[in-house]
Amino acid sequence: MREKATTLYIGPQHPGITGNMMVKVQIEGDTIVKARTEVGYLHRAFEKLQERRNWLQSFTLLCRFCVPEPDPVEESYARAVELLEGREVPERAKYIRVLVLELARMASYMLWYGGQNGSLGLYTMGQWSVGDRNYILDLFEELTGGRIYHMYIWPGGVRRDLPEGFESKVLKTMDYLEKRLKDYDDLMFSNTIFQKRTQGVGVIPKEKAVEWGVVGPVLRGSGIHSDIRIDDPYEVYDKLDFIVPTEEGGDIWSRALVRRQEIRQSIRIIRQVIDKMPSGEYYNRIPNPHKWALPKGDAYARTEATRGEVGMYIVSDGSTHPRRTHFRGAAYAHGITLLEDLLVGENVADISAIMNSLGTCPPEIER
Amino acid sequence: MSFFDLEGTLKPLTALKQFGKKPHTIPFANLKHEAADRYRGFHYNDLDECIGCGNCSTICQNEAIDMINLEGVEGTKGDSGLRPRVDNGRCCWCALCVEVCPTGSLSLTKDYLYVSEDPDSFLWTPGKDNPNGNEHISFHSTKEVSLNVYDRVPMRELEGSERVKSFAEVVLGYNEAEARAEASRCLSCGICTEVCPDHMHIPEYINAIAAGNDADSLRIIYDNNPLPEMCGKVCTRRCEDVCAIAHRGDPIAIRWLKRYATETAVSSEITHEIVNPEIREPNGKTVGIVGAGPSGLTAAYYLALRGYDVTIYEANAKAGGATMYGIPKYRLPIESLDKQIEYIQSIGVKIKFNTKVGKDISFKEIYDKFDAVFMGVGFPKAWSLGIDGEDAKGSMKAVDYLYMINSGERVEIGDKVVVVGGGNVAIDAARVSRRFGADVTILYRRRVQDMPADWEEIEGAEDEGVKIIPQGIPVAIHKDDNGRVKSIEYLKAKMVPDDKGGRPRPVAIEGSNTILEATSVMAAIGQMGDYSFLEEEFLERIKIERGRFVVNEQQQTGDPKVFAGGDAVNRTADAISAIADGFRACKAIDKMLSVKKEKKD
Amino acid sequence: MKELKDNIINRIKANFKDATEKNDYNYNRLDFIVNKETIPSILFYLKDEMGFIHLSHISCVDWLEEGELEVVFIVWSPKDKIKVFVKTRIDRNNPVLDNIDMIWRQANTYERELKEMFGVQFTGLVAPEEFILEDWQGPPPFRRDFDTAEYAEKTFWHRPGREDAKNVRETISNRDGEEIPDFAKKYER
Repeated sequence: MREKATTLYIGPQHPGITGNMMVKVQIEGDTIVKARTEVGYLHRAFEKLQERRNWLQSFTLLCRFCVPEPDPVEESYARAVELLEGREVPERAKYIRVLVLELARMASYMLWYGGQNGSLGLYTMGQWSVGDRNYILDLFEELTGGRIYHMYIWPGGVRRDLPEGFESKVLKTMDYLEKRLKDYDDLMFSNTIFQKRTQGVGVIPKEKAVEWGVVGPVLRGSGIHSDIRIDDPYEVYDKLDFIVPTEEGGDIWSRALVRRQEIRQSIRIIRQVIDKMPSGEYYNRIPNPHKWALPKGDAYARTEATRGEVGMYIVSDGSTHPRRTHFRGAAYAHGITLLEDLLVGENVADISAIMNSLGTCPPEIER
Repeated sequence: MSFFDLEGTLKPLTALKQFGKKPHTIPFANLKHEAADRYRGFHYNDLDECIGCGNCSTICQNEAIDMINLEGVEGTKGDSGLRPRVDNGRCCWCALCVEVCPTGSLSLTKDYLYVSEDPDSFLWTPGKDNPNGNEHISFHSTKEVSLNVYDRVPMRELEGSERVKSFAEVVLGYNEAEARAEASRCLSCGICTEVCPDHMHIPEYINAIAAGNDADSLRIIYDNNPLPEMCGKVCTRRCEDVCAIAHRGDPIAIRWLKRYATETAVSSEITHEIVNPEIREPNGKTVGIVGAGPSGLTAAYYLALRGYDVTIYEANAKAGGATMYGIPKYRLPIESLDKQIEYIQSIGVKIKFNTKVGKDISFKEIYDKFDAVFMGVGFPKAWSLGIDGEDAKGSMKAVDYLYMINSGERVEIGDKVVVVGGGNVAIDAARVSRRFGADVTILYRRRVQDMPADWEEIEGAEDEGVKIIPQGIPVAIHKDDNGRVKSIEYLKAKMVPDDKGGRPRPVAIEGSNTILEATSVMAAIGQMGDYSFLEEEFLERIKIERGRFVVNEQQQTGDPKVFAGGDAVNRTADAISAIADGFRACKAIDKMLSVKKEKKD
Repeated sequence: MKELKDNIINRIKANFKDATEKNDYNYNRLDFIVNKETIPSILFYLKDEMGFIHLSHISCVDWLEEGELEVVFIVWSPKDKIKVFVKTRIDRNNPVLDNIDMIWRQANTYERELKEMFGVQFTGLVAPEEFILEDWQGPPPFRRDFDTAEYAEKTFWHRPGREDAKNVRETISNRDGEEIPDFAKKYER
C-alpha cells in the first residue's frame, strides 16, 4: 500500500524556526517531497518608511532589519552614504568600526551556537553561549548605550569615542571567551551524536553553490574561498592579518566547522585592532541634519556579516530624503529558493538543523 | 566510523564540571544591574534650561515627541513656553533628540524600569515625571558632540587700518555659498520672531535662502519691512540674542542673511519685479505723513499698497530721517538707501522734500486736508553738555556734525577730536572723524562695558585707532584767543555700586581734574524731539509726556485722527522699532478708515 | 583597474550595440545602461563569458516624474574583483521584463518581490502569487504615488492622549500677533 503525501505546516511560531516564517512541506513517511516557504510575518516596510525620513533619521531604522546582528546593516548604509557623497572617514573611526563589527560577529555566533544545537536537542550549548554572549553585550552597553540595538555606526564615523578603560575590558572578555571555546568544542564538536546527525545532511555541491546565490559561511563550507573582507576590502581589513577558513563537504558539519574557526579569527582580529588603534578624530561631522542633502546618484555597499553578504543600495535624487533604499540580506537567497531545493529528499527532523546552518533570518528577508 | 565512538561519547561528559562553578547570572530582583555610563534609558529634560524650540520634536523619526503646554512654564521672550513630552509607545531610544538639542537640556538617564497598572500610560513628560532624573543622567550631548553647527560662517570685513582711509563700506557681505551654508544652520524654531519689534518672518526667509530661492526670500522679507537692506546692514539684531543656537554657540547671522537676500536685487526696478506687490484699487482715502524717516516710510508703503493716497512731508532734501542723516556711509551707503526709497516711491508714495511742517505748511492744514495723519518726526535735537565754554568754535553736537557730513558739507574739526558720550551716535561721530584724519578720543562717564553702543561698533572703533577714556565727566571747555576750542577739562570718576541693585553709578573724584587737548568737541549724550510745529489746539488732545508722544497700542494719540511712531514715541530708539510702529499704525489707520467707510455707507 | 574596466567596456560594446557605459567612479564599479530587450542576453554573457558569476542584487527605483521604472542588476566577478551595474528603464504604465531565473536561481525571489511591490511583470516567471504582503488588494505599495501616511490614517486609529500637541511656530506667532503670509508657509520646517 503506497503511502500518501501529507502536508505539514511548520511555523510560523516554532522553536526550531529561527524567526517567524512558515515552511510548508509535503512528506511521504519521513522524507520531504516538496517544500515551500512562506514569509511575510515580519514585514515592517522599512524601506518605504525611509523615504519619508531624511538621511540621518533613516539610520535609526537600520538596526532593526536584522535582529541577531544589527551592526553590519548600519555599516553598509554608512558606507553607501559616504561613497555617494565622497565623505572621508577618519582612521580611528575605521578601527572602531571594525572592532564593533567583529564583536557583533562574535555575539551572533554565540546565538548561532544556541540555535544550531537546540535544533538537534543539545540545549546545554544554548544556555552556555547565550550566557557568555551577555559579556559581549555588556561591552556594547558601555560603548554605545544599548545592548542589542546600538545605533552607533553612522555616516561620517561613529557616534562617540571609546570610553576610558574600554580596551582592557575588551581584552579581558576575549581571554575569557577563548577559554570557553574549548568547553564548547568538547561538548559540541567532539560529540558523536552531533557528528552523526550533521555529516552528509543538507549538502550543497560546489558547482551549484554560486549559481544558487549562496554566500558567507555556507559558501565557504562548500569549498569556495570567498569573503568580502578579503575580496573587496572595506574599512581597515586590508591592514589586518587573518585567514578565512574553508572546508570541503558542503554539509552542516562543514559549515559548523567554518563558523567555529571564524570565531577564533574574530578574536585575533579584535586583539590586533586594540593593539593598532590610532588616535585622532572619530567623526567627520555632517551639516545640520534637517538640511543635509546628498548629490544625485546611487551607491551600493556591502559588508560581510555572519550570514554572508549584507548589502545596501541607496539612490538619491539630490534632496534631503532618500529616493530609494534597498537592503539585500544574506538570507534572502538562502531562505527561500535554496531552502526549498535543499529540503527535497531530507528528513523532517532535519529541517530545523538545515535552516539554522543556512542562517535563515526572516527579519532580513522581509525587512 | 565505528558505531561505538569512545572519544565522542566521553568528551561531552566533561560538561559536568560546570556543576561546581558559581553561576554568573544576576539574581534579579534582589540585585539590579547598574546600567553603563552611556545607557539610553528614559528621557530627562531640565525644564529651566529648555527653551521649547521643538527641534527634538522635528528630528524624532517616530513622531514620538509632542510639544505641550506645561503648568508653571510661561512663554517669555526667548522661550516658546512649550515643553517636550515623549510617547514611550513610539520612542525607540535612538537619542537623536539629545544630539540635536541646542541648549543641551534634554538627555537620557539610566532608568529603564517603569511599572504602571494603567495600560495606556505611555506618555512621559521628561523633567516633570522624573524630577530627580538629573541624578542618573547617562547619555547626554556636549557642545562638541552635538549635531548642531555652532560656529558661524565668518564675515569678511575691511581691515582696520585700511578702512580708515575712506568711507567704503566696512562689511563685505556673504557670497552665495557662504549664505547658503549659514542659512542651513538655522533650526527654524521661530523664537527670534517674538523679540523682533516688527515680528519679521525670520525662519521662513532663512529657509528660502537655504533652499536657493532668493526671490521668495525677498518677498517674505518685504511682507512687513520696506527697508530691509538698511536693516540688513545696521539693525540692532535683537533676534540674534535669543537665537536657540546662541545658547552654546554663535547665533545665526540673521542680519547678514537679510542683507544677502536684499542685495540680490541690485536696483529698485529689479526689486519691484521680484516683489511684485499687489496694489489695491485706490479707495479715495488720503493719509498725510509728517517725516520721511523709517516709521513714516513704512506706514506710507503699506498704506499705499492697501489703496490709500499717501503724501509725505519731509523737511530735509532727502528721505530717510535718522538713517540718512545719522548713520555714516561706511555702515550704510547712501546708494543702498536711495535704492530702497526709489522702490517705495515707485509704487505711488508721494514725498514732498524741503517742506518743513510748521514753517512751509502748517500742521492744521495737513490735519484738515487728509483723512488721517501719521507723525514720524524723530528726535532731531541733541542735548547740550551744560558746561562752560560750550559756545566755543569747534564745539558742536554730534548729530549736527553727522548731518552736515552726510549732506556733503565740509566741517572744520582740526586734528584732535574729543567726543563725549557712549552711544552709537558717539561712536559714529568718532569713526567719521577718524576718516578725516583726526586723532579721536571718546570720553564716557561710565566703564567701557557699560557703554550702550553696539559692541561691534566699539570694537570697530578700537580697531580703527579711536581711543576710549572711560570714567570721565567733563566740566569745562577752554577756548584759545580766537574763541576756538583749545582743550577740555574733565574729572575722573569712580564707580559706586548702587544700593538698590542697579547699575554702578559714577561719582566724580574731587580734585582729579585732567586736561585733554582738543581742536573740537562733540556732544553725543542724548537727543530730544522738536514739537514746535504742533499748534496749541492740538496739544490739548495730543499729549506729550517726558519728551515723547503718548499713544495707545495702535499708535493712536489722544486725537483719533492722528497717529505717531518712531523715536518720538518708543523708548528703544532703533530703526526696526520705528518700522514696527509704522506697520502697526498702518494697520490701525486702515481699520479705522474702513470702519468709517462702512459707517458712511 | 583602468585596463580592466576598458577591457570590459570594449567587449560589452562590441557585442551589444545599445549599451552605453558610465565610467566615472574611482572605485571598482562600472555601469551599463541597456534597453530592456537586451537584459537576458547581456546577463548571460556577463555570467558565462566574463566571469561575473555572482548576482548581488536586483533592485528597482520609481522615477515618477519621468514615468519610468528603473531596474538595476548588480553582478560581481570574484576573479576580477569588480562590480558591474546593469540598468534599464521600463515604462511605468506597462512594466514588462523577461524572466531571468534560469541564469541565477535566486533571481526568482527578487523577481517575486519586484512584481509584488512595484508591479513589474516578468514573462515566464513561475512563482506563487503572494510573497511578502498578505491579502493585499491595493496598488503596488513601493511606488511613489502610494502614500503610506494616508493609508495609515485611513486604516489605523490614533491612541488617545496626544491631542494637546502644539506647534511651536504657531504658538509664538499667535502670542505676538505675527501674521505669516500664505506663500511663506511652505518654508516652515
